[in-house]
Amino acid sequence: MNELSMVYGMGLAALLFLLGFIGVVIRRNTLFVLMCLEIMINAAGLAFIVAGARWSSPDGNTMFILIIAVAAAEAAIGLGLLLQLQKRFRTIDIDAASEMHG
Amino acid sequence: MNDTWFQILGALPPLLVALSVIGLFVTLCIARHERLVYAMTVGGLNLALVATIALIPLGPVAVTPLYIVDFYTLFFWGVILVATLACAAFAMPYLSGFNDRREEFYILLATSALGAMSLVAARHFGSLFVGLEALSIPLYGMVAYTFRTRASLEAGFKYMILSGVASAFLLFGMALLYGATGSLAFTNLIPAGGYDADAGPWMLMGIGMMLVALTFKLSLVPFHVWTPDVYEGAPAPVATFLATVSKTAVFALLLRLFVSAPITDNAWLLTLVGVLALASMLIGNLLALRQDNLKRLLGYSSIAHLGYLLTTLVAGASLSIEAVAVYLATYVGTSLGAFGVVSLVSSPFAGKDAAHIDHFRGLYYKRPVLAVSMAIMMLSLAGIPLTMGFIGKFYILSVTMASGLWWLTGGVIVGSGIALFYYLRVMAILFMDRPAHAREPQLSGTGDNWAQTVVWLLAAATILMGIYPAPLIDLAAVAGITLGS
Repeated sequence: MNELSMVYGMGLAALLFLLGFIGVVIRRNTLFVLMCLEIMINAAGLAFIVAGARWSSPDGNTMFILIIAVAAAEAAIGLGLLLQLQKRFRTIDIDAASEMHG
Repeated sequence: MNDTWFQILGALPPLLVALSVIGLFVTLCIARHERLVYAMTVGGLNLALVATIALIPLGPVAVTPLYIVDFYTLFFWGVILVATLACAAFAMPYLSGFNDRREEFYILLATSALGAMSLVAARHFGSLFVGLEALSIPLYGMVAYTFRTRASLEAGFKYMILSGVASAFLLFGMALLYGATGSLAFTNLIPAGGYDADAGPWMLMGIGMMLVALTFKLSLVPFHVWTPDVYEGAPAPVATFLATVSKTAVFALLLRLFVSAPITDNAWLLTLVGVLALASMLIGNLLALRQDNLKRLLGYSSIAHLGYLLTTLVAGASLSIEAVAVYLATYVGTSLGAFGVVSLVSSPFAGKDAAHIDHFRGLYYKRPVLAVSMAIMMLSLAGIPLTMGFIGKFYILSVTMASGLWWLTGGVIVGSGIALFYYLRVMAILFMDRPAHAREPQLSGTGDNWAQTVVWLLAAATILMGIYPAPLIDLAAVAGITLGS
């Protein structure tokens, strides 16, 4: 594969990453924040696949499998904390849950 | 000896920790017994520590292309294991007031230590990523462990979101570097045009994104905002772990990356790191001045300390690695002591930690030895001579001066000057009259004596190393010489 195709693939990954990042920053609902986090991590996974395709080596795919596993673990603990947040404080708004300052 | 067995021998300390984690899982399935779980955790970590020391005569072992066990790795494995053991000792009396399942805490602690050990030995992006996540993911659970207190749950959630974003940045940066060089090993990250060619935009962006993630984990300015909140909300033993093990492992990795990856020889990048270091030490110290919560204060002070450490990356002098090893060892020893006292005063757990400075007013008249230990730790953090903090600071100053980085030398001196104010304030408060509303430190019985012994040992070590630092310096020198490949 030539250099050009990596630019396209990386461009798509960067776009997804940026969308996810914007979502994490502006969303106040923690459920959506977690979803945007997943988008960011998976965008990085896509970037690894693209890079692996350029060098036609399995390293990129191996990293992708690691990323999937870790993203699942993050989602699991994130949802667990989300449930507790809803149960204890009756809110999943990230600003309402925030008390510590300074 | 054949090669496979040699590699297994080299990886023995983390394997022992991993085995004890598996053992803990099995034990918990059969019976819940807190003393047994605690004994297994501490036993496993101690065995790993013995194995680490026993590996010293073996010399560098390359464990698959992913890990390298050299003296540098062994030195930091030792630091990590000692710090984890101290955290376990502080957790025992702290959790005795926690009316829920306490046993899982030790599993999380050991898993996190395993991640830290993997991170220190990593020389490949795969092991870097797995190590960092194995360090971070159990930490989310540990920060939110006392989830019925609002602050703990909030801190856990904040840490999880921000840490996840940092991981995503790290991954994307690694993907860019991999796309540009076709390699995941640190030493093969060579610009496409050859060793001397300029790094292209892909690589600069890649290393920049990785730097964002790692500076977040090290809580350096401008990614420091989470630190005081998470330290305040986290249970005291977990804050101890965050400030010591997590920082040590990530910094050891960052140094290995900068020493072994050719793309980091970039003047622009090094200047950027220097600016981050200067900003961290000034902002960290200035913000610490107006804190009344001791955990927040220590959080800000850790930002400043990591700023001092970062100057060694910019200097790149021959002494740098030795300086980092000495400084990190002294910083970990002192932070363990300071957080340990906070943890002991807050033990047993009763909803909210006694971290406000009023709880420490007149501590000397209630628990004299604890108060004196705390005073020694404060002197050491401030870098007063005859404590080991001074040795560390001396190394940092000599490295920056040897490389002619006068602006960073100035920053370290100004930062230390500001820091004196708040460290001495805490020290003075320990000996003032005790107010009526201060929470009385209680002896919880279970494991309290162990935790106190740990604090006393740390205080004694702080003074001894300050007067006679030769053994530590020799060890660190060996660690510095043999980093490579």
